[in-house]
Amino acid sequence: MTASTAVAPHQRPVTDRLIRFIDRNVLYVYTGFAILYLMLPVAVMALFSVNDPPGKSNLTWHGFSIDAWLNPFGVPQLFDVVRTSVLVAFISTIAATALGTLIALALVRYGFRGAGATNVLIFLPMATPEIVLGASLLTLFVAIGEPPFFPTSFLTILIAHIMFNISYVVVTVRARLYGFDRHLEEAAMDLGANEWTTFWKVTFPMILPGIMAAALLAFSLSIDDYVITSFTSGRTSTFPIFIWGSARVGVPVQVNVIGTAFFLIAVGFVALTTILQSRARRPLPPPAPDAARAEPESGRAALAEVEA
Amino acid sequence: MTEIETRLAAELTRRRFLQGSALTGFAAFVAACGTSGSGSAAPTEPAATAGASEGPTTSEPAPAQSPSTELNFANWPLYIDTDDDDPSKHKTLEDFTARYGTVVNYSEVINANDEFFGTIRPALEGDQDTGWDIVVLTDWMAARLIRLGWAETFDLANMPNKVTNMQDVYKGVDFDPTDDHHAPWQSGMTGLGYDREVTGDLTSLEAFWTADPRWSGKVTFLNEMRDCIGLTMIRSGKDPSLATVADLDEAIAACQKAVDDGIVRAFTGNEYAEDLVSGNVVLAMAWSGDVIAKQAEKESLVWQLPDEGGMLWTDNMLIPKGAAHKYTAELMIDFVYDPAIAAQIAAWVNYVTPVKGAKEILAETDPDLADSPLIFPPADVLAKVKIFKSLSEEEETEFNDKFSALLGD
Amino acid sequence: MGARHWLNRLTPYLLLAPGILWLLVFYAYPSIQMFISSFWSGTLETGFSVSLDNWTTYPDALQRYGPQFGRSIVYGAAATTICFLIAYPLAYTIAFRGGRYKSLLLFMVIAPFFTSFLLRTQSWKIILGDDGILFGPLKDLGLLGPDFRVLATPTAVVAGIAYNFLPFMTLPIYVSLEKIDTRLVEAAKDLYAGPWRPGGSLAGGLVGGLVAGGLATAFQYEVAPLAILGVVSGLLIGALFLSESFIRIVLPLSLPGVFAGSLLTFIPAMGDFVNAELLGNTQTRMIGNVIQSRFLENNDYPTAAALSFMLMAGILVAVAIYARLLGTKELTSS
Repeated sequence: MTASTAVAPHQRPVTDRLIRFIDRNVLYVYTGFAILYLMLPVAVMALFSVNDPPGKSNLTWHGFSIDAWLNPFGVPQLFDVVRTSVLVAFISTIAATALGTLIALALVRYGFRGAGATNVLIFLPMATPEIVLGASLLTLFVAIGEPPFFPTSFLTILIAHIMFNISYVVVTVRARLYGFDRHLEEAAMDLGANEWTTFWKVTFPMILPGIMAAALLAFSLSIDDYVITSFTSGRTSTFPIFIWGSARVGVPVQVNVIGTAFFLIAVGFVALTTILQSRARRPLPPPAPDAARAEPESGRAALAEVEA
Repeated sequence: MTEIETRLAAELTRRRFLQGSALTGFAAFVAACGTSGSGSAAPTEPAATAGASEGPTTSEPAPAQSPSTELNFANWPLYIDTDDDDPSKHKTLEDFTARYGTVVNYSEVINANDEFFGTIRPALEGDQDTGWDIVVLTDWMAARLIRLGWAETFDLANMPNKVTNMQDVYKGVDFDPTDDHHAPWQSGMTGLGYDREVTGDLTSLEAFWTADPRWSGKVTFLNEMRDCIGLTMIRSGKDPSLATVADLDEAIAACQKAVDDGIVRAFTGNEYAEDLVSGNVVLAMAWSGDVIAKQAEKESLVWQLPDEGGMLWTDNMLIPKGAAHKYTAELMIDFVYDPAIAAQIAAWVNYVTPVKGAKEILAETDPDLADSPLIFPPADVLAKVKIFKSLSEEEETEFNDKFSALLGD
Repeated sequence: MGARHWLNRLTPYLLLAPGILWLLVFYAYPSIQMFISSFWSGTLETGFSVSLDNWTTYPDALQRYGPQFGRSIVYGAAATTICFLIAYPLAYTIAFRGGRYKSLLLFMVIAPFFTSFLLRTQSWKIILGDDGILFGPLKDLGLLGPDFRVLATPTAVVAGIAYNFLPFMTLPIYVSLEKIDTRLVEAAKDLYAGPWRPGGSLAGGLVGGLVAGGLATAFQYEVAPLAILGVVSGLLIGALFLSESFIRIVLPLSLPGVFAGSLLTFIPAMGDFVNAELLGNTQTRMIGNVIQSRFLENNDYPTAAALSFMLMAGILVAVAIYARLLGTKELTSS
């Protein structure tokens, strides 16, 4: 900044090289440690899924055993709660993604009165503490007082999950929509497609990654939710509720197994989609000479090139 | 900036926010008008009149009842005999199914009275079926349920075993003088739970207020008000069954001192059991059966009734109002009052059984267990334990309020 | 032509309708009911009645639970700061040095989210156990006193919160950093050049000292040694990394991401209660714990509702301030 610029570089080789060496490598080392730190509890969880505790507590290491993996649902009710969690996550993801994408489209593509209020309404659930969300929903279900909303059950859990997922979907899809180049749509329409076709053949495939990301986010939020679910579940139990309850007397090893399994499945899923995506991005073969005119395929090829 | 971006930049301006709140205000107006009676007074049907109306004065024969196909039973964890290899099998429940054909949906979902009450309260307030046919709640929560009229009245004709075999000490309690709204499930004692290897043998409640380096900072008190305050009162020579507000204040001050001195690590529910095993905690206000159960995992754990005395509490079976399978629930309650079944449960659960005759049956198969003062406390042990006073609603609110301040809630 | 025009006008509302309706019915309406219930008086057994006179519930609750509120703010702020300190270099490395591995690294940052946060917090309970994998050996070696513990202290709670929200902080910062045109940085380096960064080390030392000192005071550790540690590490880091090009170009451009990340971390951190419940004790109770126990254990709905609304109001105020400071585009698009 000051004197060093005036000094010829070769007059301070050692400190210079040293700093550059540190500069290059410290960050990598740091990142390595940071990633390790992030993964540590996951690793511990996986480790304790092959633990062999004599009793119910799974807090100290006793020895290696894959018994729990061989009998993952050996604990009573575990299968039911896992199934409930997965079902709720699945259904609420589909619903919330659909509803949220529609809202995102409306917000980004169209001008209308009430856009500001809509934005506030979308943002508020994310700013509200989960405990407030859960408690107020329970109050609602009690006030309605009639089945199927009441007594609280699977349906009410579902309602709650869809509710809090919508906001996250909207935010995620909207972020993707912002960067979307409308010229492509205009080009497609110039080429003769109507709005409907344009949407499905041009817009939708391009925002699909955003939608998928939103769906993934919604799924993970749903399957892991404890607070809101605990208020709106009544007798039904989900996996996180089960974990919370069993944390008092001892989390069974099988719970760690299920947790690790979820993790591995999720990782596998993402790995798979990445591989598929990278395959899809391989450059397409050059189009046949006469087919280049006004055909959807070539439009798609052009899009693919733009995307890559 | 594109048109869209400009518009969005204006979104959270004050004008928009006002618009939003106007909409909200309108909705509030609608809501206030349309709010149904979620705030209405709860039904005040006193237990006594309910009992009186059960008198068999009608001349019509009672409709024939048969056991239902299923029964929903909510209980605390580790509270019924469980197969060692398959935690989902409970012989007692299988015996019941064999006898009546009913499938019992047994769920160990109760971890704390208040928490569980929170889950069934909305249904009870709304006069709906909670989904449970039998719930097991500690005395004071059972008292509250009965007081609110949310417990079904038993048809004692269906429960000959209970009527005959219930220990006399439970008869005629102040919250259920006619004994037809609750049936004790198990009793337990609260005392010292510790790791003998670390703390040595302890026999006095004074240990909780001594900053001994062996356990200071690794001590937990219970977050159940009656147990914590009860033990504190016993230590200072007071009787918890006569607790007054002044006693409460004094006890809270004493607990606060233990916290300030750094002795107390936390106030817990039954999480202390896990911590005792892992070694994070070496001395705890503990429930008798819990510690016994954890001895399998850590042999040096000991439960000890303090010299000064301990607390006795009872968990009771109740049938929530509106239960779908009341008759079958009554059959179940009666079933566990069969001394043979009670012995079976007691052998596994290690708490105090309320059923007469269970001890004799157990003595035939397992004399050591039958002699255990923890499961069948003799008179001298029973003399040293106290039951916390039954509080009125105002007292309960005040006691709970002050105690939660201690817990930081 | 006319019909088409109306359809166009109607389309946004049609698109919005299902989702917004859902939110109105299941978020807005229940929230209003909750608000009303904060004006209740009475008990479960005598019934509740609404009255505007019950506005006193609010100041009463604030007075009684002021400490917990304060604690939530302090813990939230501390966790956010720690998150920022850990996340920024991480995001920086991924954005500028990630190369081919960017996606992989990002994925590894998010990966922990694929497991239940309850299980992860439980894992921390195992790791941080008094005689567990981490502290047991250290105690055996005599490096730590036998009374040392992290569980059931504020440190564990803040560490838990910071851990849980680290990805929330990392991703927005990464997104901002990634957008920076590296040519700008190179140009800056050409202008400011010089491997030795005295200005940066001063800045680093100052910040490091302040942060460490602040955390130490907040959590009642010995201020002096920690502050010195902070200053020294700040000096080192500053000397190595806080070059002028960084401070003048990269840092300002990344601020939107920093703000977004801070918001995304601070808001849920303030309302958290799981970490305080599993890793803390009575002295670490946060406002979330209070709300939960008021609602579920004491059936004190008016107070619980009042506290919830005050918490929400506080958060919204903080968000509004942020929004004015940095402009709403970054906020709503986060």
